[in-house]
Amino acid sequence: MLDGLCIKIKMQGRNPSSRFPRALTFGVALLLCAASAQAEGTPIPHGTLELIAENQWIAAGHKFDLGLHFQLEKGWHIYWVNPGDSGEPPRANWQLPAGLAAGAIEWPAPRRLASSSIVDFGYEEAVLLIVPISGETSMAPQQSARLGAEVKLLVCSHEMCIPGKAQLSLTLPIKSQPPAPDARTAALFTAARKSLPRPAPKNWRFSVADANDSFVLTANLGRQITQAIFFPLAESQIENAAPQKLQPVATGFRLTLRKSDQLLKPIERLQGVLMLSADQAYLVDAPLSKSGAVRSSSIIGIHPPQSLKEEPQQ
Amino acid sequence: MKRSTLYPIFLYPMLVALLLCTAPPLISAAKVGDAAPEFTGAASNGKTFHLADYRGKYVVLEWHNNGCPFVGKHYNSGNMQRLQKQWTGRGVVWFTILSSAPGKQGYVTASEENDYLAKMQAAPTAALLDPTGEIGHLYDAKTSPQMVVINPNAVVIYDGAIDDKPTTDLNDVPGATNYVSRALEQAMAGKQVETPATRPYGCSVKYGDSTH
Repeated sequence: MLDGLCIKIKMQGRNPSSRFPRALTFGVALLLCAASAQAEGTPIPHGTLELIAENQWIAAGHKFDLGLHFQLEKGWHIYWVNPGDSGEPPRANWQLPAGLAAGAIEWPAPRRLASSSIVDFGYEEAVLLIVPISGETSMAPQQSARLGAEVKLLVCSHEMCIPGKAQLSLTLPIKSQPPAPDARTAALFTAARKSLPRPAPKNWRFSVADANDSFVLTANLGRQITQAIFFPLAESQIENAAPQKLQPVATGFRLTLRKSDQLLKPIERLQGVLMLSADQAYLVDAPLSKSGAVRSSSIIGIHPPQSLKEEPQQ
Repeated sequence: MKRSTLYPIFLYPMLVALLLCTAPPLISAAKVGDAAPEFTGAASNGKTFHLADYRGKYVVLEWHNNGCPFVGKHYNSGNMQRLQKQWTGRGVVWFTILSSAPGKQGYVTASEENDYLAKMQAAPTAALLDPTGEIGHLYDAKTSPQMVVINPNAVVIYDGAIDDKPTTDLNDVPGATNYVSRALEQAMAGKQVETPATRPYGCSVKYGDSTH
């Protein structure tokens, strides 16, 4: 088409507030696309979405990462894997050459988005969601691979939500030499990896006690902690909008998390992301210490923990 | 910015709402197993409804906002209307509740709501206009479409999502497990409601104040 890297545009969002006829949006986007050597984002409600690659080409035998780069107008947000009290996380359906498979989205630590009496978890302004691609393509060097994704998403402000759908694609050459990073996307991938929650250091200890209407998360990190926010991975375990009461102790902290009204069965573990500062987020998987022996096999809406997995260190 | 032209329209009601907003209600919101809080609601058809008049019947509360895409999924697919017809046909009282404040998404006048009900062929017992958010706060309604089921003894037996597919995609309606129908079927059969509380997915309820 216009450019090997140019995103094909097929915006199908039902955007009730848009003043622009879809054809015009399409035309404008095509012009933008043609005007720039670098790929431009596909329009989504109140922003753009772009499929980007970390490397300049696909190299035989090497895994690689793609990214969904969301850029949103001020005041609009998308959602984390657990959206909180309202909303819906973006979902991607991948169209990849035979032999290649997309892994789960690697979700950066979210922000608390409070409005009215609710709290959601998501991303404002811009975020890169990294998706690892594994497997071997049978395509020969000198060919190029078309990588596609249909992304369904919900973009919200505090006033309203607009669903959208974007068909993205990216064409990468296949080469036999080792992959080389793409200078245009390197900084985005580096920043996104910094914002991913890391596994907690091995000497850290977490436990959760059941205290009637609350869970108390006790953390032993070997030093006093004066600020921390917990983002629950599963829905309906804690009350998202309730203040999280932090009590610093010499070796860490105790954090009181009010139980969700929707939590009717005992839980065995509390899983989530613990944020100590803007660039210090850790995965927490804490067993319930004073737990009854009741098994809760069906925690409502739990997401597989591997969806938050850390990018392997290279 | 297209929304800036709206500011004068909703700034005034927001100021009024701020002035009217006093301390948060002292009574804590209803939970599953609790007595359903009493309310009186003004319906779009001009009638007044008291929850107390429906002791002895099952009552469904449906939080509504016609601009919310999660609500749109259930109305554009005809799912909500089907449920309303099915259950009111079996003697259930169904109140659609609109807790959006003036100037906010989903706020409508009585005649606008009547037009919407006719156009969508919706069939609730009544659509209650709750622009002050009073009924919404009594039940701690967080989202549209949040659903509450009250049994004939006026006890809340279900509170949460309409079904198990928290999306805006119309294609997700057919395969979903409907929690409201399940709760009504189980309760009417004299059984325990298997799933009495879920996360109420959807859009946030557009209350007129931000302190509650």
